[in-house]
Amino acid sequence: MARIISVYGELLLRAMGQTLLLALSGLFFACILGLIFGLMSVVKNRACNTVAAIFVDAIRGVPMIVLAYFIYFGVPYLFNTIVGIGGVTLTALQAGTICLALNCGAYMAEIIRAGIESVDKGQMEAARSLGMPYWRAMQRVVLPQAIRTMIPSIINQFIITIKDTSILSVIGFPELVNTAKNVVAITYMSFQTWAIVAVMYLIVITTLSRVAKEMERRLKRGR
Amino acid sequence: MAVNQDNVKIHVSHLKKNFDKLEVLKDVSVDIHEGEVVVIIGPSGSGKSTFLRCLNRLEDITGGEVVVDGVNIAGHGADINKVRENIGMVFQHFNLFNNMNVMRNLTLAPVDLKKATKAEAEQNALRLLERVGLRDKVSAYPSELSGGQKQRVAIARALAMNPDIMLFDEPTSALDPEMVGEVLEVMKELANEGMTMVIVTHEMGFAREVADRVLFMDGGYIVEEGTPADVFGCPQNARTRDFLNKVL
Repeated sequence: MARIISVYGELLLRAMGQTLLLALSGLFFACILGLIFGLMSVVKNRACNTVAAIFVDAIRGVPMIVLAYFIYFGVPYLFNTIVGIGGVTLTALQAGTICLALNCGAYMAEIIRAGIESVDKGQMEAARSLGMPYWRAMQRVVLPQAIRTMIPSIINQFIITIKDTSILSVIGFPELVNTAKNVVAITYMSFQTWAIVAVMYLIVITTLSRVAKEMERRLKRGR
Repeated sequence: MAVNQDNVKIHVSHLKKNFDKLEVLKDVSVDIHEGEVVVIIGPSGSGKSTFLRCLNRLEDITGGEVVVDGVNIAGHGADINKVRENIGMVFQHFNLFNNMNVMRNLTLAPVDLKKATKAEAEQNALRLLERVGLRDKVSAYPSELSGGQKQRVAIARALAMNPDIMLFDEPTSALDPEMVGEVLEVMKELANEGMTMVIVTHEMGFAREVADRVLFMDGGYIVEEGTPADVFGCPQNARTRDFLNKVL
């Protein structure tokens, strides 16, 4: 154990950095997608509702590992070989980010939809009756109240997404699991290596959930 | 207060409203004049709340015309937000903005819609709160107010936009009995000051005292209308008589 830490500790820490980089970039775009599709599912427009529902169902219905292979290998193949536009390549980071953004984005869209629907519709009506336009009322009155109920689910989704980065080891992104596999291949010390990796995930995720709890507490107090 | 018969504030003709296949308003026509206090009574399901909500298009209008200050809001061409700025609405369940204190509830729309600067809006809000007797609650949150207080704040919030028409959708139905009086008192003052008001209510005593005109609705039509003395004193229609017998 001590040998793994002294020899490969830095490598594993850097891999953890890559994991967090991937998670953060995925989450960033997931929030944008989630907001767009979440709002599309609550507006009074049949076409928007349908597009949002199809997006959510499609992403939720496909395992992330399939999505990862599809985006990393399938999409460039489609352009290069089938369509015939050459030179389309995705780095593992780009493909991984897209994959996480789509996957997490679909769940975020559902969280945002449910959050908005949990706000009494009288709030929107009152704002509209004063002459406020729909999006203004959404932004000033409904969303601030919706976000409070969404926070726990969003943080939960963040945690799931951080753990899901490990799936992206299959497309060769040098995150923690992928790196650990290499360490095991060199040292054969699988018990020690995987124990260290597990503890590393545990520390990061527990810290995050602590921060989340604190945020939730403050939001509740601050109304 | 004098009703100005020459100035029609709201002109409704052949208004229809369907919820999918259900016809809630079948054919409603009425003119509401400046300074007039119109009280709508009727059994539940008669369409009175729906009618009221068509007057500021909180419900989409299926057919007919609703002309507010010369603008037909039934079509989608009208700038509905502009029209709504001049029509205040008070809801059964208050619908105060839960995430804002009383001051912010009153100043949000005027400031956001650039009707007033923040300082002007706050000054106006304090004046309105004074008027409804809740100046000391200026920084309270809705969850800290009683039902009667919430409704008085809601009235002040609607007045903060300086509307010339006020709609009331069963404003006292969700209140404990001991709080009904304080809300009706504020409404009575408003009526005496000449505000044009359309009120859906079950408070028959209030209707009799304050209304210039009473409309009795049933089954998606206005079945009977007249002065409170006429409608309550000698109702002409059998359904009106039947309803009044049950509630009085």
